[in-house]
Amino acid sequence: MSLFKLFLIFTKIGAILLGGGYVILPIITSEFVDKRKLVSHDDVIDYFALAQSLPGIIAANMSMFIGYKLRGKWGAIIAMLGVTFVPFWCIVLLASIISTLINNSYIQGALWGVGVSVIALIMLTVREMWQKSKRDNFFYTIFILTLLTLLIFKLSPIQTILLFALLGVGYKKLREGKA
Amino acid sequence: MIFVHLFLEFFKIGLFSFGGGYATIPFLYHISQVYNWYSLDELTQMVAVASITPGPVGINVATYAGLKSAGILGSALATVAEMLPSLFLVIIVSKLLRKFSDNFYVRSLIETLKPISCGLLTAVAIRLLKPEIKDIKAMILLAFLLLISWKSKKDPLFYILIAAVVGVLIAFFKL
Repeated sequence: MSLFKLFLIFTKIGAILLGGGYVILPIITSEFVDKRKLVSHDDVIDYFALAQSLPGIIAANMSMFIGYKLRGKWGAIIAMLGVTFVPFWCIVLLASIISTLINNSYIQGALWGVGVSVIALIMLTVREMWQKSKRDNFFYTIFILTLLTLLIFKLSPIQTILLFALLGVGYKKLREGKA
Repeated sequence: MIFVHLFLEFFKIGLFSFGGGYATIPFLYHISQVYNWYSLDELTQMVAVASITPGPVGINVATYAGLKSAGILGSALATVAEMLPSLFLVIIVSKLLRKFSDNFYVRSLIETLKPISCGLLTAVAIRLLKPEIKDIKAMILLAFLLLISWKSKKDPLFYILIAAVVGVLIAFFKL
């Protein structure tokens, strides 16, 4: 994949990234796993957790991981510039117009629809993650504990990731010791 | 001089904000207090615009804050400065993962990240349900979108566009 092509794909991704950063996951899966088969679904899932473990903006981190995977250092830089290209010009050129349009009922209507589509996209991604994961007891245990910790104990994502990464690796180390 | 401060402030945000776009807002508030580049009212408006334009909110709001502070150059500088720490970290982490891919701890970590990832995203879906799916209209639209995707997966843009058009139609017919 040429750097220019990579830039174009990430420009498209940035342009359709509406309704919060989490939509980056279905969009990246669609562009790089389904359509072009350049990255495995497994890698995308790993990058999603890694992107949340690093500081900064999740969607940008995710893009840079994919960029690096495909074309190294320059790939990461190009992914960063591509994914922000349309959003940047949107703000620079249109911010004053948008801030007056924000209460327009049609804009509000469109945003309402986008909000609902984001839920549908995230649900579909969860379903796909389930289907494509190797689900053993270890998977179920960590999954359920992660979910409960986030929803009930309200730990932040980064705290949750650190906690269960330590527990998971520790458990595997113990098992290895016994085997 | 403003460019140096602008670069340092947004580099700091990129380095110390965890957990997505809205986590950057306290930093932006701090900036508004210290530098007078923009007022608190302007910050509120910036966040509103940043969340409806395409792109990650945390980056859009940096672009906008840079624009208010020092024009288009400030805008470019703030945007890049906020992503630079991540860029370095992503490259370092990717290199380490590649170099130590046979290491027991790295392999265990990767295996553990998968269920964690699934849990994180499921939690997002559950949390978003309440604020986004407020009435029967939203429920019907959600059910419809899930239904058309059940058999064959489509481009995410397809769902976003359909849902936006439905939203505009509902506003037009005042349903």
